[in-house]
Amino acid sequence: MTESAVVSAAITEWAEAGKSTPPLMDRLAEAAVRALKNAKINPKDLDAIITNTTALPFKEESYITISAQHFAHRLAEKIGTHGTRCMNVCAACASAAISFAVADAMIKAGLIKTALVAGADNSPRGFYFQGPSVLDADLAVSYPHKAVGITNPSYWAMWARRRAYEVGKPVEDIKKLMALVKELQSTYSVHNPYARYKKTFTTKEVLDSPIVCDPLHLYMICAVSSGAGAAIVADMEMAKKITDKPVKIAASTIGSVVYGEPSPRLVYFTTAGGVKAKKPFIEWRRVIEEAYKQAGIRAEDIDILECHDTSCFHTINWIDQVKGWEREETDKLIRNRQIRHDGDFPVNLSGGTSSFGEAVMCQALMMIHELVLQLRGEAGERQAKKKLRTGMCTAYGAYGSYGAIILEKGW
Amino acid sequence: MDKEKKKIPIVEGLFTWPSDKPQLIGSRCPLCGSIQFPKSNVCNNPDCDHSKPPEEILLSTKGTLYSYTIHRYDLRDPFPYHKAPYAIGAIEIPEGINVIARLTVTEERKLKIGMPMIFKVDKLYEDEENVYLTYFFQPEGEK
Repeated sequence: MTESAVVSAAITEWAEAGKSTPPLMDRLAEAAVRALKNAKINPKDLDAIITNTTALPFKEESYITISAQHFAHRLAEKIGTHGTRCMNVCAACASAAISFAVADAMIKAGLIKTALVAGADNSPRGFYFQGPSVLDADLAVSYPHKAVGITNPSYWAMWARRRAYEVGKPVEDIKKLMALVKELQSTYSVHNPYARYKKTFTTKEVLDSPIVCDPLHLYMICAVSSGAGAAIVADMEMAKKITDKPVKIAASTIGSVVYGEPSPRLVYFTTAGGVKAKKPFIEWRRVIEEAYKQAGIRAEDIDILECHDTSCFHTINWIDQVKGWEREETDKLIRNRQIRHDGDFPVNLSGGTSSFGEAVMCQALMMIHELVLQLRGEAGERQAKKKLRTGMCTAYGAYGSYGAIILEKGW
Repeated sequence: MDKEKKKIPIVEGLFTWPSDKPQLIGSRCPLCGSIQFPKSNVCNNPDCDHSKPPEEILLSTKGTLYSYTIHRYDLRDPFPYHKAPYAIGAIEIPEGINVIARLTVTEERKLKIGMPMIFKVDKLYEDEENVYLTYFFQPEGEK
């Protein structure tokens, strides 16, 4: 099998959502062109363009729809191609991780030599709602908001409370832990020119912020943002010609719904499978285990993690799943501040999605961008102190969408 | 004299109505026994050959609280009738699935993971014309 690598990555500064300028396509093109420039290649050299699609029912004037489902083709037209392969991928918050995995698979299969993976988003503010559609009135997912009033953070809050229960701690315990995660991660936002919120939130500020749905406070939940990102991936032979620091793609996996998962999954009414609850988050774990298998490594080999944290609970749960630990060890790692840049296991030195706000369709590109900088030693003030060889990026999205990526120094 | 308002489910097909003893409407695969809520036209078990459509069944009205949260923000349009505070829970029913539901109580001290819960249908909100109903779970013994 051919080896593959990331040769360049670029992101725009994440900004407030719901603003009409600059237009989404301009941002997408800006990120793509910067990635091309970093790789010193031209659009003609791209064998494929894979972007993420979106269709968010917001207010009428900001309804992103049909044309946004065809970003790849529009980007091809905008930057110019000689008929390259174009694809549009959608997997909720995990979208960009999945398009990255598709590009990687095509390269490893020998079908193409280069691909541009890109995404842009301008998400609606506030809670996401399932749009009522007469043509897609699916009892399973179309009505939980309408009938129950459940929102995405309500699922996360229930997960957090359940974890506290399962480890036999009062809910205040995980609340404090989530506040500490926010403080530690936001420390790095100050040093990241691309983060939307360049501010350290102290544990006290987080716990003083309004409760959204207990145990989640406002500052434990990521905002929604606009932004764009791009990465150029290539087969290793070509990557080595382009850069002296190719970042090897050791694994890229695509996960989804696991029958029997006991934990309530966004945005459904029920769990599936008729299996009595056992240890939750099988789906999260599965995509990670497959990545370890692909890369031929173990959890102990991961030096640094960028994980998708739409709430601070996600960071805690990702560490549980990536390490495969009993959960007390995760709590200890965080309490001892070992997830900082100078710690044993740095996590989200980008500042995390909680410092960026989420631009859903390109959020994984933000994480990939950070890992590329970290592995190359180019992250400046945020640079991990320990010697890095292997990094992981994990993404979680609604409907049961998951992606995991392992990147390694390829030089 | 005021005409009595009509009581209608907020979403058709989730629970039996009108009924003195309403229940959630689910489905069961006649081949593998996989239970779904809401009911589906196909089985969801990947190990089943899916050759027969699931049959409609009514689900248990008792369960235990798997987890819960109390929402402190009102929802905006198109669901402004979800007024804070309101509680949401995941209820583990004997069929072995966790069902997301509104809870009748919003005081945290009255809720505890693992406690027994009873199903009921009650008012979600009303307008000039109708009373809109949804399904709730209530701590056993709570009035």
